[in-house]
Order: sequence, then C-alpha cells, then structure tokens
Amino acid sequence: MSDLKYAALLDAAPDAMVMVDEAGRIALLNVRAEKQFGYGHLELIGQKVKRIIPEGFAERLVADGLRSPVEALAQQMGTGIELIGRRKDGSEFPIEIMLSPRESPEGFLVTAAIRDISVRKEAEEVLRKTLEELRRSNEELGRFAYIASHDLQEPLRMVASYLQLLSKRYKGKLDSDADDFIAFAVDGATRMQQLIQGLLAYSRVATKAKELLAVSSEEALRRALANLRDAMEESGAVVTHDPLPNVLADEVQLLQLFQNLIGNAIKFRRPGVPQVHISAAKCDAGKWTFSVRDNGLGIDSQYFERIFGLFQRLHKREEFAGTGIGLAICRKIVERHGGRITVESRLGQGSTFGFALEGSATR
Amino acid sequence: MPMEVLLVEDNPGDVRLTREAFRNTDTYVHLHVASDGVEAMEFLRREGIHAIAPRPDLILLDLNLPRMDGRQVLALIKNDDSLKTIPTVILTTSEAETDVVQSYQLQANCYCSKPMMLEAFESLVQTIDDFWLTKVRLPRQGPD
Repeated sequence: MSDLKYAALLDAAPDAMVMVDEAGRIALLNVRAEKQFGYGHLELIGQKVKRIIPEGFAERLVADGLRSPVEALAQQMGTGIELIGRRKDGSEFPIEIMLSPRESPEGFLVTAAIRDISVRKEAEEVLRKTLEELRRSNEELGRFAYIASHDLQEPLRMVASYLQLLSKRYKGKLDSDADDFIAFAVDGATRMQQLIQGLLAYSRVATKAKELLAVSSEEALRRALANLRDAMEESGAVVTHDPLPNVLADEVQLLQLFQNLIGNAIKFRRPGVPQVHISAAKCDAGKWTFSVRDNGLGIDSQYFERIFGLFQRLHKREEFAGTGIGLAICRKIVERHGGRITVESRLGQGSTFGFALEGSATR
Repeated sequence: MPMEVLLVEDNPGDVRLTREAFRNTDTYVHLHVASDGVEAMEFLRREGIHAIAPRPDLILLDLNLPRMDGRQVLALIKNDDSLKTIPTVILTTSEAETDVVQSYQLQANCYCSKPMMLEAFESLVQTIDDFWLTKVRLPRQGPD
C-alpha cells in the first residue's frame, strides 16, 4: 500500500526523477522524466543515463581525477549542477540536477532530480544582453558627453572671447543699444562656457575615475577648504569638523565632493555668519556616514529630488550664480562610491547633506 | 628695440587674440606667425621666403598643428644647437598630463594652458611678457 503511495508521490513530482545504478544505467524513472525527455517508460529502463544526459554526472564530477564517482556524488549531494539534457528526438535543453546517492541491497544508487531550466536560462541571457547593452550605451553616452563638451569648447572660446573683446573696446563708443546687445551676448556666451565646463566635469566623474584606495578624508577636507579660502574669507564663514576617518575613495573625487557641498553651504547663506560643520558616524558593515551641515537658506522639501538634477537651479541668475551642476556631480561621485546622497533641510533654517563611504582600516 | 616673438598657431582666431593681448602690454613686440610646424621650421632656419627672418627672442608654440605638430617642432628646436637656446613656451588648449610631461621631457621651457575666458588669457599673455620679455635675461645672440 505504501509502495503505491510512494509511487504516486514520485509521479506527482514536478521535476523529472531518475534513479541510476552503479553501472550508470537507469533503474527507475517517473512520469515527468518520460515526458521531459520524450521517451516511453520501458524505453529508458536499463539504458545508460548518458542517453538523456550526454555528459553524465559522475564523470563530470570526477573530472579533476581526484575523487571516485562515489566520493564525488556524495560530496555534491544537494548541489544544483548545470548540464545538458537530450530528448529522444535529439534536441537538447539546459537542465539542473540535484543528486542523492544511497546504498541499497542492489548496490550504490543515485537519484537525480532533473529540472528543465530553459526558461531560466533564457531569462538570464536576456538579462545579460540587456546589461551589456546598458553598459555599452552608458559608455557611449559618457564618451559623447566628453567629446561634445570638449569639442564645443574651442568655437565657444572664440565666440566668448571676441564678444568680450568687443565689449571692452567699444563699450560707450557705439550707441547704448549696441552696449546692451553686446552685454546680453557676452553674458550668454559666458554662461554657455560655464555650462560646458560643468558638463565636462560631470562626464569626467566616470571617464577620469580612479581606483578606490585608502584615503584620509580629513586630508581631502583640508584641501577642499584650502581651495575655498577666498569664498570663506569673503563670507566670513566658519567651518568646523569632527575627526574624520580613513575611507576607500577616489581622492580627487572626494575632494570635489567636499568642495562642492561646502561651497554650496557657504554660497546659499542667510545674513549673519555662515556656519558649516562636517562630521562622520560609524554605521554598520564598516561604513561611515558623513554629514555636511549648514545654517544657510535651507531647501523646500518639494525640491529635495530636483536639486540633484543636471543643470537644475532653484534661484534666479541674478540671485545666485552657478550652473546647477554641482549637486549632480556630487550625486554621481557618491553613487560611484557605492552610496546614496541624502538631504535634510528646513527652509530658512539650513540643510544637512549626507553620504556613506566604505571605511578603510589602513592608510 | 622690438622683441621678436614667433607664434606657431593654426587658429586665426587665436592668432588675433594673442596679437591683441600683446598690444595691451608695454613691451614693443613684433609678432611673427607660422600656421604649422613646417612653416615654423622654415622661419627658424631662415629658408625660402623667410631668408631674412629675424631670430626670435621667444617662441610660443601650440601643440596641435596640421602637417607637422608642435611636439615634433619642439623636438627639432631643442635638438638643434643653433635653435635650442631660444626660450620655447608651449601655449595650448590641451590640459592632458601626458602632453605636459612630454613637453617638459622634450625640454620645453615651460607649459601654459590657454584659459577659456578672455580676461584670463590676456592676463596669461601679460605674465609671459612680464617674465620672458621683461624680467629674464635672454642670450644676446644665438651661436652663429
């Protein structure tokens, strides 16, 4: 009675099940196996299992010549092994097998659960192809952005330089309309130069990326502050920081990141003394979360996503200069380091920008 | 006494900007122009139509030139005993580190990247003039 139940269980199994003896012949198989390989039950009993799995499985496992078939099978128990299955009509399809060897009065027997993984393989292939497409496309875009901004610079330099020369030499010598026209043209050309330089800087985050090495974030901060010395003097800004850790980073990009964030903190200030504080807190998995906190203008929460966009600005040109690319570059740098950049802010009270970096125990 | 400066530059827009920038300085400068490396060498060696060309006090050399590029010209100048004593300043849009290193290895006297903005460019030319044409002592004559 229980034999019948077991037989029913076997035949109800979703995977093909095949039991193979020491000689590599099929001793038992279930209905699913018949259907999967396109054979009648009796056609496979006593046949070598290599008929349906040409590579066999013991052979594959002992390919390194160090183990006997028995040892190899025992070790691979439960592991999914990818092989090729062959149907009666000769067509082949990818399979995954799980093996369970056991001793029996009839000798050593191996039960193989055989799963048709054609669908999974196809999906993996589609994914691989899509990722490859995406990688190529991204690379091309990056090159395009670099080439476009690089090659656009020369003609733009001519336009901007000669407009500026015109303005210098003929301001007040033609009529006031001409002065206005030239001024608008110069302004446009100058802004275009800044946009292109911004675009180049943005594309360089990817193209000029260096290997991530152990870097002193405190040293990077120090150099960023040295670069911001003029802005700090002009605004009277006070910048403080906690001790900062060594991290795995691209030194140049870390410097850029600090410089952009602190530069912004100083630029978008309220009346009074701008105060900026940089700190780092250890979080799990060996990472450090950095915070750059300011007491500046603050940002309305509805713009929290937009500020990181390319060429996105929240203020009029007359209010604040800038191309709107600084935070886009920051985000790209942080993402390149495997993190996310965050912002907390209240309008009129100041903002805190945060990002995580992988710590480095050595220097 | 005018200072003779040879500008090797193929972009006429850049030539004119350089000329205008030198006009802003107090130095009396004769600016000679060669638009590629071949012409530059003919001028320096006083060949053909350049037979009576003056010996430059300073050479401003762009790197990316048609026919014979600036790197080759630099190598030729600095390997020529009669020409290598002429201070040769690389003046180029390239900011590539490899170009900088190679230029100094070929014995360029210094390397200047052309700035994007006019004011910065004019300031650079003024600085070159201040240093190479005013402050430093140049050899009176080359070996002849």
